[in-house]
Amino acid sequence: MKNLILGCLLFCVSVQAETFHKDAQYCLVCHGSNAQGNEAISAPNLAILPDWYLSSQLQAFKSGWRGHQTTDAYSKEMMAVAQSMSPEDVKRAIGFITAFQVSKAVETLDGDISHGKDLFQTCAACHGASAEGNKTLGAPPLAGQYSWYLLRQLEAYRSGQRGAAAQDSNGAMMKQIATAIKTDQDLNDLVAYINTLALPSTKVKH
Amino acid sequence: MTNPDNKQIPAKGLTRREALLWIGKVAGSAAMLQAATLFGVLAAPVAAQTEQVKLKPLTTGRKTVLILGAGISGLVAAYELGKAGYHCKILEASHRAGGRNFTIRHGDFIDELGNPQFCNFDKDPDLYFNAGPARIPAHHTAILHYCREFGIEMQLFCNHNKNCYTQDNTAFGGKAVRIGEYEADTRGFFSELMAKSIQSQAKLDAPFDDIDKQKLLDFCRSYGDLSSDFTYEGSVRAGYKSGGILSPGVLKTPRALADLLQSDFWAGAMHFGELSDQSAALMTPVGGMDKIVDAFLSRLVGKVQLKAQVQKVQLLPLGVEVSYWLDGQLQVEQADYCLNCIPAQLMAGIENNFPADYVGVMRQLKRGKLSKIALQAKERFWEKDQIYAGISWTSQDITQIWYPSHGMFKAKGILLGAYSWDPAISDRFSAMTNQERIATAIAQGAKLHPDYAKYIEQGNSICWQRMNHMLGCGAVWSEDLLKTSFARLQAPVGSHYLVGDQVSYHPGWQEGAVRSAWYAMESIQQQEQQKQRQGAA
Repeated sequence: MKNLILGCLLFCVSVQAETFHKDAQYCLVCHGSNAQGNEAISAPNLAILPDWYLSSQLQAFKSGWRGHQTTDAYSKEMMAVAQSMSPEDVKRAIGFITAFQVSKAVETLDGDISHGKDLFQTCAACHGASAEGNKTLGAPPLAGQYSWYLLRQLEAYRSGQRGAAAQDSNGAMMKQIATAIKTDQDLNDLVAYINTLALPSTKVKH
Repeated sequence: MTNPDNKQIPAKGLTRREALLWIGKVAGSAAMLQAATLFGVLAAPVAAQTEQVKLKPLTTGRKTVLILGAGISGLVAAYELGKAGYHCKILEASHRAGGRNFTIRHGDFIDELGNPQFCNFDKDPDLYFNAGPARIPAHHTAILHYCREFGIEMQLFCNHNKNCYTQDNTAFGGKAVRIGEYEADTRGFFSELMAKSIQSQAKLDAPFDDIDKQKLLDFCRSYGDLSSDFTYEGSVRAGYKSGGILSPGVLKTPRALADLLQSDFWAGAMHFGELSDQSAALMTPVGGMDKIVDAFLSRLVGKVQLKAQVQKVQLLPLGVEVSYWLDGQLQVEQADYCLNCIPAQLMAGIENNFPADYVGVMRQLKRGKLSKIALQAKERFWEKDQIYAGISWTSQDITQIWYPSHGMFKAKGILLGAYSWDPAISDRFSAMTNQERIATAIAQGAKLHPDYAKYIEQGNSICWQRMNHMLGCGAVWSEDLLKTSFARLQAPVGSHYLVGDQVSYHPGWQEGAVRSAWYAMESIQQQEQQKQRQGAA
């Protein structure tokens, strides 16, 4: 019945037909429109992440070394989802997510940004001067990620909830460095600085 | 376990207020209400809200409405607005309509993130379980209005059954005790205690007089089934130990008060059936709660689009534009109004141009964590144990076992083997695979029913906080947030309304969903009437 269809405006946009699978939409239930994250359910921004990092973390969740030895219920949720995905699903999900561009600027934390910048010099060695990430070193981009997620992960590394698994050599390194961050104020200032860094231009929606 | 309200009976005479408070503490609100009425303190309960939405036929031209979500609120909205002449379309993200009104039967798909399952119950109309709402109290007049209008066949639903068990690992050596015995003994002992206290006073404080004192004693005797000298010596309410039909009935020996208090059954479960939403008589549709969904769907043919996942909601100067994924394509539609039933915590992650404070409230609603595990039993063993319907309680994680209120004497039955609304317990269940959940339910259920495992053939589980496209049961509002922000979320933003049980003081109940939809539709009608007046002026 045509009159039941709301005919005001109806057009279609073809999106990544070659990599898209409808199940990949499932990622967006939690990670939000364009996979840009959802603070209400603590789902991080995936749109800023490159394929190699998404792949390594999905494998980490799948094999349980991320999500298993933690009390973090959100990690456990992601672990359960990753474990229910086939290798094909993983490939499709990564193809789907990496096609999104980021349109939303992250909100910055209140903090001493210049102090955060000083602290960031240690981070820059692996994550890059603009926190753009480094594939060779396995360090993900941090620019564009939400402050609440960066804080939660840094706290997880500091408390040993993340980075403790034997297979997670990059995580072990990150754990060591996070432990060196002395105070919560340092943590806050560091994240406040990271939030000021611009996203790589290829990732930004114009 | 100690009694947190371990207060002594007042040494001197009881004032009326003290007596009422004390009865309330030991005997539950029903007893207090009864005593209060006896004392002439309270008026009769206020009649429940009964008004219904009655939309006038639309006279302001063609109007379109996009409804996001085919749960109860969305279905109600499409049905009522459609009748009034609005052109409605529902976009539902999931593979099915109904939202949390979900009855699970043979072949159904349970789309839990990370734990997808199919239901393998035998193909039999009696073998189902209501994974979401399962009971409707009489004062939920809005949802019952549709049951009546659609001619949905209803049956009674039993919450409280004295033949069911209470089991506590720290009391009675962990052995299950019949609820009827527990209740008869605790009420008996407390009535005796109270009667003795009243009797020991030569004169009660004003405003009691002698007549009140006698009434109070009579109440104690009646409430606790005390003997003529106001002592508790056991009660037929606990069931006879033997005899009673062709030979004299022999009373059971009362359990010791200290043992009764050792169990924490008195702290909540014992008074569960006193809650207005949980008190007898409750109803449920024959054949499953989703008979309500089916009835709506049969009246909304062609108006529900499944597997349409909303990507963006944009407020326009007039109306709303919604983008959604369908079959791998991004679709865009506009409408004059939008009724949005998407759970607030998910809407917060969907692109929108809402005012920041509006989304800010959505972001603060918490996911309700609630788990159910259903088990198919090859034999209705509980019937041999004189249990027909009702709920047993345990201090273990499974919390409750429900025996079906239908299908008596049939070959098989579906038990609800676990039902928890405690977030910590639900987190533990959600961390398990389906097999682990079933195994846990069986192991814990065996504390109430020896040989439990022998009867269980298979099962399914649901953790609502993990269900795809919902990620939560009833929205959790903090008290502060309700006070400061409920009105903000209930009010429209332009022609966009957030609806559903989440925008009610009754989240987790269909009544909240229906009334939230009614509220939004009344508001839409007002907007239209205003436009008409402006047009005429």
